[in-house]
Amino acid sequence: MAVPRSLSFTLTPSMRKSVSLIYHFAERESKARYKRSILGWFWSFMNPLTTVVVYGFVFGIVYGAKAPLTNNGNAENFGLYLFTGLIVWSVFTGVVNGSMGWLIGVSDLRKKIYFPTETALLGGAAANAVQTTLEAVVLIAIMIVLANISWTVIFLFVALTQAMLFGLGIGFIVSVFNARYRDVQYLVGILLNVAFFTVPIVFTEDLLNRDEVPDLARTLITWNPPAVFVSIARDAMYYLEVPQWNYLVVGTAWAVTAFAVGWVYFRDQSMAISEEP
Amino acid sequence: MSVGSIHVEGVSKKFRLERNRPSSIKEAMLRIGKKSDADDFWVLRDIDLQIEPGSFFGLIGHNGSGKSTLLRLMAGIHRPTSGTIESEGRLSALLELGSGFHPDLTGRENVFLNGAMLGLSRKHMAESMEQIIDFSGIGEFIDEPVKIYSSGMYVRLGFAVAVNVDPELLLVDEVIAVGDEEFQRRCMEHMNKLRAGGTTIVLVSHNTALMSDLCDTLGWLDHGRLMKLGDPDEVVAAYLAHVDKGDNTLKTRD
Repeated sequence: MAVPRSLSFTLTPSMRKSVSLIYHFAERESKARYKRSILGWFWSFMNPLTTVVVYGFVFGIVYGAKAPLTNNGNAENFGLYLFTGLIVWSVFTGVVNGSMGWLIGVSDLRKKIYFPTETALLGGAAANAVQTTLEAVVLIAIMIVLANISWTVIFLFVALTQAMLFGLGIGFIVSVFNARYRDVQYLVGILLNVAFFTVPIVFTEDLLNRDEVPDLARTLITWNPPAVFVSIARDAMYYLEVPQWNYLVVGTAWAVTAFAVGWVYFRDQSMAISEEP
Repeated sequence: MSVGSIHVEGVSKKFRLERNRPSSIKEAMLRIGKKSDADDFWVLRDIDLQIEPGSFFGLIGHNGSGKSTLLRLMAGIHRPTSGTIESEGRLSALLELGSGFHPDLTGRENVFLNGAMLGLSRKHMAESMEQIIDFSGIGEFIDEPVKIYSSGMYVRLGFAVAVNVDPELLLVDEVIAVGDEEFQRRCMEHMNKLRAGGTTIVLVSHNTALMSDLCDTLGWLDHGRLMKLGDPDEVVAAYLAHVDKGDNTLKTRD
């Protein structure tokens, strides 16, 4: 049974229907990911591991970039510094890019039968959340090995949730645009590539504190939504500090606002999906 | 509103015409402010209908008269441009070939997916599975992806699902005609059984003899307008008279 029994008592029939559809789409997305592969979920661990090693080598050793010291003072490792940011960034981009495909993927079905279309996006996002959790487990395992871990790890999941909600909010909107004009997926891809460099992932925050950096750029790179989520994750996993409260508030505000706006827009527009050719 | 009823009030539906539709953002930008009424096509105009619980309602009309669009509006697939459509009860629809099937999933997976869309639990669907496989007669193909199904298999499975989910409202579009004689007969039997059990049925067909046989009430659509509504024999007579007249005008033109 897809829906946990304890849930089914509190849900209305239409909510229960949505929950089982979300489960269905999530299951389908997860299965499709490692279809016809022997090692399956093993790749979910390999991907982040190689990322840490390769980026650590290229940036840390080839370029000699210095990452800030971790809390315990012995894990000054650019690969880990980068990966802590990248995991948050990839939740965001994974959901934004994914949502366009998830909606297109069900549009033929939606032309023949009614179902709440948002369940396809929520299901895809749920599959993404599982994937991300695995990556987070890798990160946490490495940090445990390096003895750079604290209870602040819970804020990593706060940051990931914020990134997920924010990504879904954007995804709700761009997927509707993309259903109408396929140009949107390419445009979004380019914009995300640009946006990647507005977040301190491949460069460190202290580079921003130099005089050559204009104030406006510094403000934008500090307070744009993904940068806030990344900063929270870094505090949680790298510096092992409780994130500053204003970051937590701003991050949550970005996430909730984007999700709410996207949701309302999607609910209003998704009926028209069935009329797209 | 009582379970099994459909209320259609002042419903109109327009579609954008494909040839006039911009296909890229660039084209859309160039056309801003140049929208004209020629881009729109009214498929349905001011339709008013009340379908009572437990009734067997039929829709007839020429190709492109708006029958299928009206059925899709009832199924909640499209939203009317104006007016309201309300239905009460679990609605199961068989609208076209492969209705609601995802080509990459197996027949069995599609049955579960369809069940989820209708708000039925996995357990419920697992219990009905035997019955569905039996009724559709597709046997071991149930575990093959539906994209390899023949059109007959598609329809048989589609119909089997649609009628075996205890619908309170059943919408059926023409599709049954794709099945063979034996299957069509079974469909009719099953629809009669559902009707006896109180299910409201809405059927679209060109087979006027069948329609006046089955339906309690018949509606005739012509170019998106409801021309006549009521007793099946009278509506069929009016429709056929209209078709004959059209035939005559064609002949005289030749």
